[in-house]
Amino acid sequence: MGGQPLYLAPRLGPRLRSLLDTPELLHTLTDALGSPLNVILPDQLADNLRQFRAVYDTHHLSGQVFLAHKANRSSALLRRLAATDAGVDVASLGELQHALGAGLTPDRITATGPKNPEFLWLAARTSVTVSLDTRGELEQLATLVRGHALPRARVLLRLSGFETSGVRVLTRRSRFGTPVAESAALLDAVERHADVLDLVGVAYHLDTTSLAEKAVALEGCLRVLEECRSRGLRPRAVDIGGGFGVNYLADGGQWERYTTALTEAVLGIRPPLTHGGHGYGLRNESGTLRGTLGLYPAHRPIAGARYLDELLSHPAASLGGRPLAALLLEHLYDLHIEPGRALLDQCGLTLTRVLEVRDQEADGPLAVRLAAKADDVALEDHGVLMDPVLVPEGSPGPPVPVHLFGNLCLESDLITRRTVFLPRRPAPGDLLAFANTAGYCMDFHATRAQHQPAAPKAAAWQEGGRWRWCLDDQYWPTTPVGGAQ
Amino acid sequence: MALVPGRPVLADHTRGGSAVRYDSITEAIGNTPLVRIDPAVHGLSNIDLYAKLELLNPFGSVKDRAAWNMARPHLTAAASEEGGQVVELSSGNTAKALAVLAGMHGLTFKSVTNRMRIPEIKDLLLLLGAEIEELPGQSECLDPTATDDPLTLFHRTLSEPGSTFLHTDQYFNPRNTEAHFTGTGPEIVKDLDGRAPDWFIACVGTAGSSTGVARALREHDPAVRVVGLVAAKSDFVPGIRTIDEAHEVGLFDPGTYDTIETVSADEAIEGMLTLNRRCGILAGPTGGAAYFGAIRQLKSLDAELTERQSAVFIVCDRVESYLSYVRQRRPDLFGRPRRATSPADLTDAEIRTAPAIGVTDAQAWIATGEPIVIDLRSPYAFAALHIDGSVNIVDELFEELLHGGLPFSRTRPVLLACPVGEKSARYAALLTRLGHPDVRSLTGGIIAWRDAGAPLVRD
Repeated sequence: MGGQPLYLAPRLGPRLRSLLDTPELLHTLTDALGSPLNVILPDQLADNLRQFRAVYDTHHLSGQVFLAHKANRSSALLRRLAATDAGVDVASLGELQHALGAGLTPDRITATGPKNPEFLWLAARTSVTVSLDTRGELEQLATLVRGHALPRARVLLRLSGFETSGVRVLTRRSRFGTPVAESAALLDAVERHADVLDLVGVAYHLDTTSLAEKAVALEGCLRVLEECRSRGLRPRAVDIGGGFGVNYLADGGQWERYTTALTEAVLGIRPPLTHGGHGYGLRNESGTLRGTLGLYPAHRPIAGARYLDELLSHPAASLGGRPLAALLLEHLYDLHIEPGRALLDQCGLTLTRVLEVRDQEADGPLAVRLAAKADDVALEDHGVLMDPVLVPEGSPGPPVPVHLFGNLCLESDLITRRTVFLPRRPAPGDLLAFANTAGYCMDFHATRAQHQPAAPKAAAWQEGGRWRWCLDDQYWPTTPVGGAQ
Repeated sequence: MALVPGRPVLADHTRGGSAVRYDSITEAIGNTPLVRIDPAVHGLSNIDLYAKLELLNPFGSVKDRAAWNMARPHLTAAASEEGGQVVELSSGNTAKALAVLAGMHGLTFKSVTNRMRIPEIKDLLLLLGAEIEELPGQSECLDPTATDDPLTLFHRTLSEPGSTFLHTDQYFNPRNTEAHFTGTGPEIVKDLDGRAPDWFIACVGTAGSSTGVARALREHDPAVRVVGLVAAKSDFVPGIRTIDEAHEVGLFDPGTYDTIETVSADEAIEGMLTLNRRCGILAGPTGGAAYFGAIRQLKSLDAELTERQSAVFIVCDRVESYLSYVRQRRPDLFGRPRRATSPADLTDAEIRTAPAIGVTDAQAWIATGEPIVIDLRSPYAFAALHIDGSVNIVDELFEELLHGGLPFSRTRPVLLACPVGEKSARYAALLTRLGHPDVRSLTGGIIAWRDAGAPLVRD
């Protein structure tokens, strides 16, 4: 296998590390609950929240941190969240019911995304803040509140299509939100429905890793809020959505070596690094590299709370160059954020059992079949390349290249197209643990295709130096000993 | 070679490098001096090291040659079209040269870029009338099946029927390389009395200059050794690509270089400082990287040489545009003595004990009409909502004022307000130190004021 093994070791925090150091427990869990199995670490969520709060404190900002529920359906995570002071962002009727049932009070819930009448009604009935995408939705909510004699609804206006002057910062079109250019009509509607709608503030969510684009959007929001104030409205908050990112890999050097090797493999300078020579979006056009690397930037030192800090420190070009945090503070606005992936960093892993290990061509990668489908470990769906951890670790020998196949009767059911290097030859019965899957990679894509099971979830926590667990649905903040006090 | 016989492209062809009177600034492109670096500076005893001073091109960089050579054949045709626009993917010197050339020919120029990382160049481009578009960042919720990446979309727009774009396409255009094959390379040979140097060291950006010069030199003497310099992968050196990025360049052929070496931002700045401070060459970091890479390459070899050798590196552009880049990486180079009356000098104890006043007492105090209320927030925030009768002096300006002493009479009491009472405490402490007898900081700031239900107004 051409040259040195290329590892992409996962970044493991103390909790995940400690859990992976208890192979007996992980085997017991999969023996009892089957493979694949998702293990959730609710306490990590509280730690991550503290990191975001620390950034708020540094910048003297107030406001709420809302977990984007869509990143994971776990009840344990939501109930643990309810035991903190954070909130949740729900994007469906089911998520709203789940959040209310987990103990999150309406003042800690924001309803976003595409909404049906039932979702709107329950949100308005319980006085949850509703983030409105369009003027049509605003009218619909106003009619609903009047027609059903509901309490005055708290609303955020989600905006998009922010403009810049000087340098034009291009951004992908969002199918959500009202273009800033049309905000005047939206504010007219807010004023017209003032008896049933209470404007809390404005919101945006951009699907980008670029700080500059987000800074432009935040500046645009500040201008619209100023317009609100001049109309006599009293908005208090800006909701800047999520997209703070996660640093998945332990070693930046490994990531750089891998991506360089991948470009070389695509150009034919070295043997392929993937099943079937897949290029992850890159291609070779007469010796020149074309296309775009369709991978998540898995080594990302500035992610999560640090990304928020960078964003808040970013100078607002159109508003005198003061940092965005200073502008928010000076304008007396609360800052709301909706991290999903970043708030669930290190909050769980997915366990899969090795079913079969088969030699292919001599010296080529082994074919390893797992008791899981590709959609059960959705890392690849998000472009995240990261090595699984072999459990038990065993004594390391020479690195063994493998291709990881799923258990569907389907050619394309590959857990990853990357040739993965394991520290020893795996054997049937071993577990492969995919770390850090809690954000979007557990249940977002999982299906029951071919009557194969979707992974159940177990919640695990440390107590008196030992790991304890229960089924996800059995977990409440009172479950751990001492949790009831 | 696509040159029209008898139709000169570069200044040296027309003037033999001797005339100094031109009909157009474009004739001043090229024919740059080759300057020997003092051995006392570089420390090589058997190698003569020369700098090719491309920074002396009229628009300031080596890219003037390529920009002119690529755009020249098409400018007249483009200018005759309604709304003709020159377009290039560039975040630096090529954009600068093209912006000037476009303007000279009555065209507009648009630069499309991933990230303009050098603020001075961004501002200069805007000043020159260029339009700048920054491509969107990577999607956070990645869809690996999406094929419409921003660059693909960009190329699609350019090739739409009826488009009036003149896309110079510097990364793929052979006229980029040609400018150096017919200009820079032969000039070096001529200035070395008809000999090619033993070594040629160049940074790899579009690969145009390194490829063109290398080809010209090798045509003269196949033994020339060529060193290509790329940036370390996690680093950023202006004008230099990382090895992965170089592979995306159509003009880049690894076979051009005998060796490809990595150079870091710190090393580039180190090399730049030597050129700036010891050689009188006001090179930017790209030239600095080339100098650093040259010395590193030649040093070990130098001791074993028995006969004299020569080496040439390219000084791409000037230092002035990179001050913020250098300041970010080497703040020590800009160390200025701290001024006396600055909030940074205050001790924690001074800040803690700064005179302060709560919202209720402050309201009563203001009602007496005695204190002047200074709001330290930005004018935008002040315009939105403020305490009635207050004066807005934004903190940065207030700090400047205090360098000159007290900006108001000691007999006038002062109430300072900021968002949360943190900055106002610092300035209250500072004013106290300057001898003001009755200055107070609003505890908890404007936010506490609002939360207490005290009135805020707009004017």
